[in-house]
Amino acid sequence: MTGPTTEAAREAGPERTAVRSFRVRLRRHRGLAALVVLVAVGLGLVIWAQLAPKGDVVPLSVSNAGPGGARAIAQILGEHGVQVHDARNYDSAMAALDSSSSPTLLLYDRNGALDAQRLRDLADSSARVVVVSPRLETLRALDGGIRQAGVVPDGTPALAPGCSLPDARAAGQVSGGSGFVYDGGTTCFRPSGSAAGVLAASTDGRLVVLGSTAVLGNERLDELGNAALGLRLLGSSPDLVWYLPSLEDMDLTGSPRTLDELAPDWVRFIGPWLVVVALAAIAWRGRRHGPLVFEPLPVVVKAVETAEGRARLYHDYRAMDQARDNLRAGTLSRLAATLRLGPGTTAEAIVDATARQLGKPASTVSDLVNEHPRSEARLVAWARELHTLEKEVRRR
Amino acid sequence: MAISGRFVLLVLLGLVPVLLLPGWSSFFAVAAVLAAAAGADLALAGSPRLLQVVRSGPVNVALNARVPAELTIHNGGRRRVRGSFRDAWQPSAGAANPVQPVDVPAGESRRAAVVLRPVRRGDLKSPHVTFRSFGPMRLAARQRTIASAGSIRVLPPFNSRRHLPSKLQKLRELDGKAAVQIRGAGTEFDSLRDYVRGDDVRSIDWRATARRSAVVVRTWRPERDRRVVMVLDTSRTAAARIDDETRLDSGLEAALLLGVLAERGGDRVDFLAFDRRARARAGTAGKGNLLGRLVQAMAPLEPELIEMDWAAVPAEVRAVTAHRSLVVLLTSLDGGAPEEGLIPAAAQLAAQHVVVVAAVRDPQLGAMLAERSDAAGVFRAAAAERALLQRAAVSSELRRFGVEVVDAEPHQLPPGLADMYIRLKAAGRL
Repeated sequence: MTGPTTEAAREAGPERTAVRSFRVRLRRHRGLAALVVLVAVGLGLVIWAQLAPKGDVVPLSVSNAGPGGARAIAQILGEHGVQVHDARNYDSAMAALDSSSSPTLLLYDRNGALDAQRLRDLADSSARVVVVSPRLETLRALDGGIRQAGVVPDGTPALAPGCSLPDARAAGQVSGGSGFVYDGGTTCFRPSGSAAGVLAASTDGRLVVLGSTAVLGNERLDELGNAALGLRLLGSSPDLVWYLPSLEDMDLTGSPRTLDELAPDWVRFIGPWLVVVALAAIAWRGRRHGPLVFEPLPVVVKAVETAEGRARLYHDYRAMDQARDNLRAGTLSRLAATLRLGPGTTAEAIVDATARQLGKPASTVSDLVNEHPRSEARLVAWARELHTLEKEVRRR
Repeated sequence: MAISGRFVLLVLLGLVPVLLLPGWSSFFAVAAVLAAAAGADLALAGSPRLLQVVRSGPVNVALNARVPAELTIHNGGRRRVRGSFRDAWQPSAGAANPVQPVDVPAGESRRAAVVLRPVRRGDLKSPHVTFRSFGPMRLAARQRTIASAGSIRVLPPFNSRRHLPSKLQKLRELDGKAAVQIRGAGTEFDSLRDYVRGDDVRSIDWRATARRSAVVVRTWRPERDRRVVMVLDTSRTAAARIDDETRLDSGLEAALLLGVLAERGGDRVDFLAFDRRARARAGTAGKGNLLGRLVQAMAPLEPELIEMDWAAVPAEVRAVTAHRSLVVLLTSLDGGAPEEGLIPAAAQLAAQHVVVVAAVRDPQLGAMLAERSDAAGVFRAAAAERALLQRAAVSSELRRFGVEVVDAEPHQLPPGLADMYIRLKAAGRL
């Protein structure tokens, strides 16, 4: 019966047996397999959550609905008839500016991506420029006579207009937290004891600097006069170009040279060629001179192992009676041999003969030989006394 | 295939053109040139496939002796083979120079010798020889392994040889003397000589005395042409190591000494290694000298991890000889349950033969006996005591059946067994 089945199994091919053995292994390690699947699924979810697109997170972006975004004000402006052009790069911003008449430009250049030339071109193309929290280079390039003058002091939640600018007067108080103050031209919303303000306008009114993103952000738009100020600043013309420069607008031609560019051409090839040398060396040293040979090792066991194992068992179970019996029997048999007594001699006869040999009373020897030690300490002492007794007998 | 250190050096030198003309094109060009050089070298190398190996040299060697294992390499190809070869002796063969250079012109043969210094008894093997044939530039080599089984038999050392002269001396002293005191069956008439004081008066030959003026006594010599059958236990208990050799090795030493001694004593010797089946046989009935045959038979013996089949031993002995003989059982006294195995078998054999059981005693048990300094030591002493008492019980049980027991420490076993043989021979019990 077995012949055909094994034949069939052989004909089924190795892949079938491989699948079967895999199944058998799977069934045997079911719990482990479930755990592996669970971990894999969890890992996949975490990675997916990390990699999933999270929408626009750019601060003051018109499509960012988060606290730092500016979607709210852009939508309100749109509802009031202002066309908001969302420019993603310099070229599209310029195109949007050129295509509309007397446009307002909102520029928020967090990273200082635009160089002076581009800033000037942008300013020239637009009727009015609202710059949010500009950097020193940006202000210098725009050349509106406005300078940086520090930050709004802590603990200033609201700022009063305190100037004659109609937009500011109409808005009333605005949020002041974590803003920058600017000096030069007309300054409004000045913190107490300062000549610089969060809002600064050039004398010709074409450049307005707003030192706080909170005024335009979604989070605080409904507080104080933030919305009013923002709408009045940005909604004065029918076209608003909303331009947030990013790193791709950066002009790279003038950047400093890297170490890679400074190094001579051949340096790049040292590494790869040394890898080739290393591979050759590995092949040279790693190639074995023929297959390995086997050394059949014979089995060898230490003979005394059994006695040592038995000793450990005695010790672990504190088998004092057993140990005492063994030692006593061994001593008696050796005494009998030393005193030339026959194999059938009784213990009493051996004890008597020993006592006579040593000239001791028989009771002393008998008490020693027949003692039952009750503690390990006594057992050790007794074993030594037996040993001494044997030595004495042998000496006579 | 294999590459040489020279090729690696060349690759390193390839760094110079790569750096002088930087660029991927020169990088790959240099790599291609190097690969082409290696390929050309490989193509020009003589084919190692066409090599033939014939082994010669000694078949037997003593333990720890230096011996050259020779091999003749014949080049059957049309190109010279230059390179190296490795003779794959197993590590315990102790090959001093397994890798050697080789240079064989086409159609010719060259001889090479690998010096071996074996460190283990038994049949040591070399299953194959691997050749590496380099091209003319010695950059790359073709490598091929050629199956060529080599084997060398490492004989047991026979360290107990040093006891042989003294034991032979004792044996010679038996001649003409021993039987004078002990008269009885089994002694053989040797010669007549003049009576000297001290001779047993019962051995006076009165008829011869009547023909001469002096008193004449008969002398006998020890019996000759008796049979000695040695049965060596190769079962699991033989794997136990005592001092620095296994029971098996101690048994081999004892068997060698007894075998040589008994042969010189004029007896017929048979050796049988047995566990569940016969592992080796040797005996006087064969060609060549007995010692040679004994060591040949003993060399490949290894302990087998199986239980000894004592019930089959009497039948095996009967197969060797049907006559009364001296049966020596080289085994252990403390393995498993001797009352079920060894004792009945020995008793059964003792009914027909003179039986001697020779066993190794562990000297470490004696050392353990003296450990009485703390509780652990006392328990160890108790365990050793128990082991020794068990041995003593088995020995006395065996003696009860008329079996002689030689219970000695490893180095004392061979002379002890030899003394037992001489004593039995002197007593005329063979």
